Amino acid sequence: MAKTLSLDNLHRLVDALLQEGVRVVGPKRTGTLTVYAPLTRGEELELNELPRRSAKETFFPPCETILSFEKRDGRTTVSDPDLDRLPETVLIGVRPCDAAAPGILDAVFSWDYDDPFFLERRKRTTIIGIACTSSDDACFCTAVGLTPDARQGSDLFLVPVEGGGFAVEALDAKGSALKERHAALFTAGGNTVPLPLAEPKVEPLDLEKIRAWLDGNFEHPLWKEIADRCAGCGACAFLCPACHCFDIVDEGGEGSGCRRKHWDACGFGKFTMHASAHNPRDVQPQRYRNRIMHKFKYYRDKFGQTLCTGCGRCIRWCPVGIDIKAVLDEINKKS
Amino acid sequence: MTQGQQTESTPLVDPACYAAATAAIRAEAVRLLEAGEVTAVVGYRAGRRAGSAMPEVATTAEAAAQLIFTPGCQNNLALFLSKAKREALPKGKVAVVVKGCDLRALAGLIGESQLKRDEVHVIGVACPGVYGAGADLAKPLAAESLARKCRECKVHLPEGTDVVAGTLPPLPDLAPLEAEELARLEAMTPQERWAFWTEQFARCIRCLACRQVCPFCFCTQCLCDRNRPQAVDTSPRPAGNTAWHIVRAMHLAGRCAGCAECERVCPMDIPLNLLNRKMAQELFELYGFETTMQPQEQGALTSYRDGDDQSFIK
Repeated sequence: MAKTLSLDNLHRLVDALLQEGVRVVGPKRTGTLTVYAPLTRGEELELNELPRRSAKETFFPPCETILSFEKRDGRTTVSDPDLDRLPETVLIGVRPCDAAAPGILDAVFSWDYDDPFFLERRKRTTIIGIACTSSDDACFCTAVGLTPDARQGSDLFLVPVEGGGFAVEALDAKGSALKERHAALFTAGGNTVPLPLAEPKVEPLDLEKIRAWLDGNFEHPLWKEIADRCAGCGACAFLCPACHCFDIVDEGGEGSGCRRKHWDACGFGKFTMHASAHNPRDVQPQRYRNRIMHKFKYYRDKFGQTLCTGCGRCIRWCPVGIDIKAVLDEINKKS
Repeated sequence: MTQGQQTESTPLVDPACYAAATAAIRAEAVRLLEAGEVTAVVGYRAGRRAGSAMPEVATTAEAAAQLIFTPGCQNNLALFLSKAKREALPKGKVAVVVKGCDLRALAGLIGESQLKRDEVHVIGVACPGVYGAGADLAKPLAAESLARKCRECKVHLPEGTDVVAGTLPPLPDLAPLEAEELARLEAMTPQERWAFWTEQFARCIRCLACRQVCPFCFCTQCLCDRNRPQAVDTSPRPAGNTAWHIVRAMHLAGRCAGCAECERVCPMDIPLNLLNRKMAQELFELYGFETTMQPQEQGALTSYRDGDDQSFIK
């Protein structure tokens, strides 16, 4: 029989996990914005707003140390971070557009090299997804193959039901284990009539047609038309659940320091700058073209998946109003 | 979900004002392009989402006839006349649509010899105000959704432009929220202020949207991108974030035109214009300098007068 979970019990679940020493990350209001952040109690969970940044940072933080070095008595010691110390984590209250992304990124982070930083966090994290009951005019998950109640990427899934609370579905061993461990909080029966889902009202896209058009139109006036206005910042890439480029830098002093990996973005002018000072993408439209090509062609060609979940963050926060859905509509019409 | 924080309230400005400005911009832009007086008009066009707008480089009369002016026209288009974005424009004389705050930036660029006044046809727009960050663009402009800078705007009507589009309606008197916030910060102890900014900068993800939309951030090689030698850590951590924002504020002192675009575009809600305003206030108090709608030959920090305050030299 279907199990349900009241909102109070969802909060109790967070509290119980915290008591067990599990790190619980979920949407939390901090100042003027909601972000995914470690919770200190269940009531902090903010389920009414899509967090400003995506959930990718749970696995791929904005910045992390990948080694540290120290010079002493003429000898240099280099040490790796201890990945065994990465905490067991439950990522809770994740909408389908955010829940689907880490699974899409598994492909690239375990492609020619197994990235232990990403993959260890994936292994130790359970994702509790939640069906989406509110959307705005930037949302377009349904146009890129997801739905407001897509289970993709979730281990446990919550569907908000009439009268409050959630219908609960375990989708894999991780989800079942979590549910079993806290069985007392889940009730058998109860109202399981789901609340209406937030279907974005958007034109559908034919992703295969778009891929084919991109294949033949590396050079096309459209790129200049769309992206001359691009200001060249990283807001779209940094808020995106699927963008995953990073830079590696050494920071510190002569005596000691760290090698750090931090978010990078193909919109930055220096992203492809060679040491020779040659820049193969020397104007902004070429950089924006790469953003679209990577998401809708290269990643599909290589891994059979689309590097976009339709969360709409890049649309809401582009400083110059570039609307990726409008761009895709345009390409969809051409192809 | 609604991403904005606006609540229902009565429209602030008669929408007919924006419609009139739109008609005047279109007429002027079409005329300029048809007469061959300019090669492009940098203006705004509507986006897909209701109420949204984006910069547009119109090079044909057809495109010019689609230009708009609405409360969604937030961008400072003077950016396109800066060295950093000039590549987006065709060669030859161009026209640009500017609000009063944007005009101050354009005047600043001319003052810094980035372009000559006669290289640009300036279409000023009588601007009652635009939306602030995070506003619900589908709803009429209201006191709650008006940009903070617009509450205290003294340049609703541009001066010294080639033409002014639209006329100003009577505007409501609104509480100066930003000035109040600045006063609140100034009343703090240095320790409290440091704690305030430490918390703000901690959120920075170094997307550099603040830099990229700033008309005055046109350095070919930004100090903060340098790595040989490295002056500022590029990783989004407290040390580099703080250094970046201090460098930004200092480098813009006496140059910043107060368009507050840096603050509007910050996806992490860092109130950057408070820093800009504080610097502007200091420059006024120390040197009587203010950015204006007219190009000034010398900025406060690029000129020396015998009477200049030197008390800071210990």
